[in-house]
Amino acid sequence: MITFERVTKRYQDGTVAVDALDLEIPAGKTVVLVGPSGCGKTTSLRMINRLVEPTEGRILLDGQDVRAEDPARLRRGIGYVIQQTGLFPHRTVQDNIATVPLLNGWRRPKARARARELLELVGLDKALARRYPYQLSGGQQQRVGVARALAADPPVLLMDEPFSAVDPLVRASLQDQLITLQTQLHKTVVLVTHDIEEAIKVGDLIALYRPQGRLAQFGTPERLLGAPADDYVAGFVGFDRGIRRLTFFPAAGLELSAGPVLGADATVAKAQATGEPWILIVDDGQPRGWVPQARLASLSGDTPLDQLLADGIGHTFPVRGGSLRAALDAAVISPAGQAIGVDEDGRVVGVATFDQLRAAIQAADRAADQADEAAAAADLATHRSADEPGARR
Amino acid sequence: MNWSWIPAHGSEIWAYAKDSALLGITPALLGLVISLPLGIVAARWRWFNAPVLGVVSVLYAIPSIALFFALIPALGLTDTNVIVALTLFSLCVIFPNVVAGLHAVPDSVRQSATAMGYGALRRLAMVELPLAVPVIIGGLRVAVVSSISLTSVSQLIGVYSLSYYLIDGYQRQFPTEIYVALVLIIVLAVACDLVLVGVRRVLTPWMARS
Amino acid sequence: MSFFNYAWDWVTQSANWHGAGSIPQQVLAQLGYAGAALLIAALIAIPAGVAIGHTGRGAVVVINIGNAMRAIPTLALLILLALYITFSFLTWLVPLVVLAIPPILVNTYEGVAGVDPGVRDAAKGTGMTAWQQVTRVEVPIALPLILVGLRTGAIFVVATATLVAYLGLGGVGRFIFDGLDSYNYSPVAGGALVLMVLAVLVLVFFAVLARLVVPAGLRKQRRSE
Repeated sequence: MITFERVTKRYQDGTVAVDALDLEIPAGKTVVLVGPSGCGKTTSLRMINRLVEPTEGRILLDGQDVRAEDPARLRRGIGYVIQQTGLFPHRTVQDNIATVPLLNGWRRPKARARARELLELVGLDKALARRYPYQLSGGQQQRVGVARALAADPPVLLMDEPFSAVDPLVRASLQDQLITLQTQLHKTVVLVTHDIEEAIKVGDLIALYRPQGRLAQFGTPERLLGAPADDYVAGFVGFDRGIRRLTFFPAAGLELSAGPVLGADATVAKAQATGEPWILIVDDGQPRGWVPQARLASLSGDTPLDQLLADGIGHTFPVRGGSLRAALDAAVISPAGQAIGVDEDGRVVGVATFDQLRAAIQAADRAADQADEAAAAADLATHRSADEPGARR
Repeated sequence: MNWSWIPAHGSEIWAYAKDSALLGITPALLGLVISLPLGIVAARWRWFNAPVLGVVSVLYAIPSIALFFALIPALGLTDTNVIVALTLFSLCVIFPNVVAGLHAVPDSVRQSATAMGYGALRRLAMVELPLAVPVIIGGLRVAVVSSISLTSVSQLIGVYSLSYYLIDGYQRQFPTEIYVALVLIIVLAVACDLVLVGVRRVLTPWMARS
Repeated sequence: MSFFNYAWDWVTQSANWHGAGSIPQQVLAQLGYAGAALLIAALIAIPAGVAIGHTGRGAVVVINIGNAMRAIPTLALLILLALYITFSFLTWLVPLVVLAIPPILVNTYEGVAGVDPGVRDAAKGTGMTAWQQVTRVEVPIALPLILVGLRTGAIFVVATATLVAYLGLGGVGRFIFDGLDSYNYSPVAGGALVLMVLAVLVLVFFAVLARLVVPAGLRKQRRSE
């Protein structure tokens, strides 16, 4: 757990980079510091491992002031990843990764073996161990940087815009890797970025900064999207936040109907008998296409459905593990205006209309609000609230 | 230290100082004049750069002092001898700087200039060379200061300059002359250095004061 | 007769290779003067350059001292010291050290200060003490430039050590000045040729040293001095 107590950083020329910051970063979570350029997020991060010293206030790491320990020893217990990677060009990849273990006195063979383990952990081929940094691509170098930070198994990992310097495809892959690593390692990760989407994707908690070093809001991504504290936060987070926050609502609570779903061997007559405006043709569980009722009118009643011309289905959403956002998108893109829910094998479970989606969204909203109120009450009790009471939507 | 000796020999000192200046500045300027076209070509065509740089590196290693003596059969004990030897030295210092200075011009700048319609020659004269000025003048400064300092050895091959006072002072065990020569050579070198810094400032008004 | 004729004549006389004052003996003496001066200059200039490069403080001083010291005529210093201190090693050592310091100092400083800022930040953030940052990261990366500085300094002192012979000491300059005094050009040419060969050997030595000592991962930096 990392605690900022009224931390201020003021420079000699008077600029205030961080202004009386109170922040509590819980252990084992990924907390993202996000905000515009010059807002103090990087300065805050670098005060944790004492690359920058606060002018006022103090920072506690698991209850102990970070200044109590020798800075070099402190930093060896904290992983540090930066945008430019800072890989040592004169050392091989494995010796780069082994840096902290070697500093801690490990024997070289043992340190190198650990380095190779970490190469695998971050998704790189062990064959890269003997290469030099200049021989690696940008994305590979970043992964090595992360491996180096993790080598001594520190409980805390600091990351300063680690993925900003690579192209979007590589960035997405690295972000996914980080999320996967966290499910295995449960480190306390503090990540700085200027990209709100990245923050929403990887963060368990987001600390959104205003310019000049003050916090605007600190909360879960759902909370920032659903209940931004003010116009600044709403603007920073983006104007389609209503839809984006649906990513956090699971699709499992969505009510599905099987009415319009018929097998390919069913007849036109049966389809007309359902009274549904659109029919979904299914073949061995897999969705084949939508057919509007109007198209059935001119056909004889005993024609099997699989002979009909069907409209494309767009895409489906997974019922288990999917989000309401995926369901909403499936409905929007479907010619029938209904979302097709499938199981792990891609077999149709049921469909949902816009009305059913709306009901599910409202239910999820209510549940989220109740959870927030409970959390706010708990915050008040411990007097550590960094979240300001939010305006609804 | 015999202070009265100085005004007594004022005009002689002045003459030798001028000689040292000439012997030191001329080679630097000649080195510049030779290095510029060579450097421009080398910066543009890589295949030219490598061999020239190789030759220059080896030439650079050849001590000017050795050159003074080696040129005696060809050039005798004359000013020309000193100037040729020091020009070769200056060349070795300035040429790499011309190439480095031109290479240091960012590609993006070069390309914008071309895109705006600058022909190659105009681009060179109006964009690339001006931007390379600081690095080139850096090399010129080293060349001038080192050349002036090396003129202190000229008397060893009979070429008159402030060097005369060093040799004479040693032979006559007369430190005053030596101090005068030492101070004047240093002053001359530093003065030229400062002039070049001023020239650089004038030529590059867009740069921050160092 | 050209320079090479004179030089060749002299170098091929086997008498010059044996006995007192022989070529090998004077070459060794020259290398001795140069080597001692280079060593002391390195001991002064490298730590200074590293310290200033690492902390960034005093950078302006380094550049200006580097430039200013180049202006000092070594012969003048040699002669001055010879007049005041009779026959101590300081007479030849001090001027040569003064000559060697600027290139070593300036190149070391630029090598260390030029280490990529991201790498320096990472070295600090990884938990290295200042000493570890310098010895394990900054100096190894700055090594190519440090070697360039040493090579330049070496060439300067090997060449200029010739002048100490003017004061009556040994070295290759002995052939040159004795030749000039007796109006015999052959040893002058021969001495000059030996000097040139020595200088090229210094170049080769440092090229080999660089190949051996500089880690493979570093790309070569070019320095124009």
